[in-house]
Amino acid sequence: MTEFLAAAIRIATPLLLAALGGILSERAGVFAVGLEGMMLAGAFAATIGAWAGGSAAAGIGLALAGGAVIGLAVAVVAVRWRADNMVTGLAANILALGLTSYLLRVAAGGGGRPASIHLPLLGPWPIPVLADLPVVGKLLFAQPPLTYLALLGCVAFTLFLGRTQAGLALCATGENPEAAFAAGADPLRVRMLAVIACGAVAGLGGAVLSLQQVGTFTDGMTGGRGYLALASLIVGRWTPFGAAAACLVFGAAEAFELRLQTFGVPVSSYIVQMAPYLIALAVLAVLGRSARLPAAIGRPLEQ
Amino acid sequence: MGGPMKRQKPLASWRSALAAGLLLAAPALAGPAAAEDRAAILLPGSINDQSWNALGYAILMSLKPHGFATAYSENVSDADEAEALRDYAGHGYQIVMGHSGRFVSAMEQVGPDFPKTQFIAVSGNEGMAPNVMSIDWNNAQFGCQLGHLAARMSKTGRVAGVYGLEGVPNITAQAGGFRICAQQAGAKVTILYVKDMEDAAAAKEAGLSLIAQGADVLTGKLNAAESGLIAAAKEKGVFATGRGLDQTKLAPDRVLTNIIEDWPGMFGNTADQVKQGKRFGTFVMYGYDTAPVTGASLLYQEGKPFNPVVPAAVVKELDDMAKQFATGALKVVPTREDARGGS
Repeated sequence: MTEFLAAAIRIATPLLLAALGGILSERAGVFAVGLEGMMLAGAFAATIGAWAGGSAAAGIGLALAGGAVIGLAVAVVAVRWRADNMVTGLAANILALGLTSYLLRVAAGGGGRPASIHLPLLGPWPIPVLADLPVVGKLLFAQPPLTYLALLGCVAFTLFLGRTQAGLALCATGENPEAAFAAGADPLRVRMLAVIACGAVAGLGGAVLSLQQVGTFTDGMTGGRGYLALASLIVGRWTPFGAAAACLVFGAAEAFELRLQTFGVPVSSYIVQMAPYLIALAVLAVLGRSARLPAAIGRPLEQ
Repeated sequence: MGGPMKRQKPLASWRSALAAGLLLAAPALAGPAAAEDRAAILLPGSINDQSWNALGYAILMSLKPHGFATAYSENVSDADEAEALRDYAGHGYQIVMGHSGRFVSAMEQVGPDFPKTQFIAVSGNEGMAPNVMSIDWNNAQFGCQLGHLAARMSKTGRVAGVYGLEGVPNITAQAGGFRICAQQAGAKVTILYVKDMEDAAAAKEAGLSLIAQGADVLTGKLNAAESGLIAAAKEKGVFATGRGLDQTKLAPDRVLTNIIEDWPGMFGNTADQVKQGKRFGTFVMYGYDTAPVTGASLLYQEGKPFNPVVPAAVVKELDDMAKQFATGALKVVPTREDARGGS
């Protein structure tokens, strides 16, 4: 059971960081369809940073920057130039996929061959005393650093969105940009910054995959996790802890799917593998009716 | 609208002048090459995927030393297969390859119209006379050897395999071969299918879940995701088998051996015969029984088939298996049931 929960947490961590980024973007009024590309750019930049810089810190720093670059591209096109959010986000995902596999060969390859980069994994940082508690100790207090960061992010983002001037301005921009403007905020600036920050945080989600779980970058390694993160933040009603709960449910569903197969259920593996996505659809269908999007989401700013 | 339209004309004439120039130059450039043998490959994805499609590109390049000029098309979708095959065959390509078994049906459609062209499905499992063939290596033989190796190296008596695409014939052959021979050597076997053969993080999760259930030797037939399997074995200190020498480098004390596929050997052998006018209409499977080209081999690192931790007695058992496969004394024919998911 502990092992199962540990797996659920591992699977949920990259999703949660991406979802946290997405919350910033969507609460400011820009659909976060580009999460997949931001994660992928982050995973790639983290690998290059840690490999060239020789330390995980360099990798994490570059992951923030890598995700932010995709965020900047989305911000300029979707916010500044008022293009459609969905199309821009999807285009950013495709751009990130092509760009990362190209750059991997430029940065590390010889003669167009991709380099094989193998990084030491970010190991667990046990918290003294707490880590020795029975069951929960190992589960919650002996995690690798980016997992703690995701949890701290939930607290920090909740406080930021609900208790700070900047956070309130961000939410106001997503609900009613004209009113926010009348109250002295600059909606254009707020949305641009929110989308760039979204990219940086989602980039950390990608770094979890490359630095903490696999130790290298492979093309398209996010494998659709950005979309699952997007679903999580909607299921979680655009709140950090709600998104965290949704990510854990998806993580648990995926961990359960792997274990279900090993019991030898007489069902095709293709059906069993659908489980996490069926759960996502079911939850969205149930919650969808009552979910309330930020009022001005996807609506370009008036000049 | 007016401005750009006006500019179109000089641009168009400039373009046609360039095209005419190229046409004039083309015979001069390609003159001696006109009678050259040509080979093309259709790829389901991009040659830069570090994985399956990159392998397809490598196969194509390996035909160059055999005297073939080469061409390729990337991201060929199911609907475009037949058209793309026709295009190359119609331009006189002697060898037109499709990079996965799924190309076979389109080849069977197009084949009769181009009897001079040899169509080859990479890792397919059927052919059609006279000129549509599939080439693959004997996954059952090598899967069986890995099963025996895993069972003999396990301390817990539990071994596991992680695969993708349940039901695809070469997956069934390798997973089933693994289970049959590991069970014969006394181990309990669990097989797990993941949904994405490229997703290393998900494959690692699959590996960790199997290790948590007691498996202490992992194997698999995944693409980019195989490195996730090795990462799980490394993290938990169990053994694994890989698919490439760089996976030995990833965890030198954890990787027991790798299946190294010899596509250049298999295709070179075929291409030479096609050049001499022979056409194949069957599924050609390379294995220990087709030496000297065996289609694949077990290799830990250059010149060493197994990790030094594998006892000499076990190495001998594996060598004996290979000899029995070569003479035909040993045959493994796995079924869907042998390759089923679960324990």
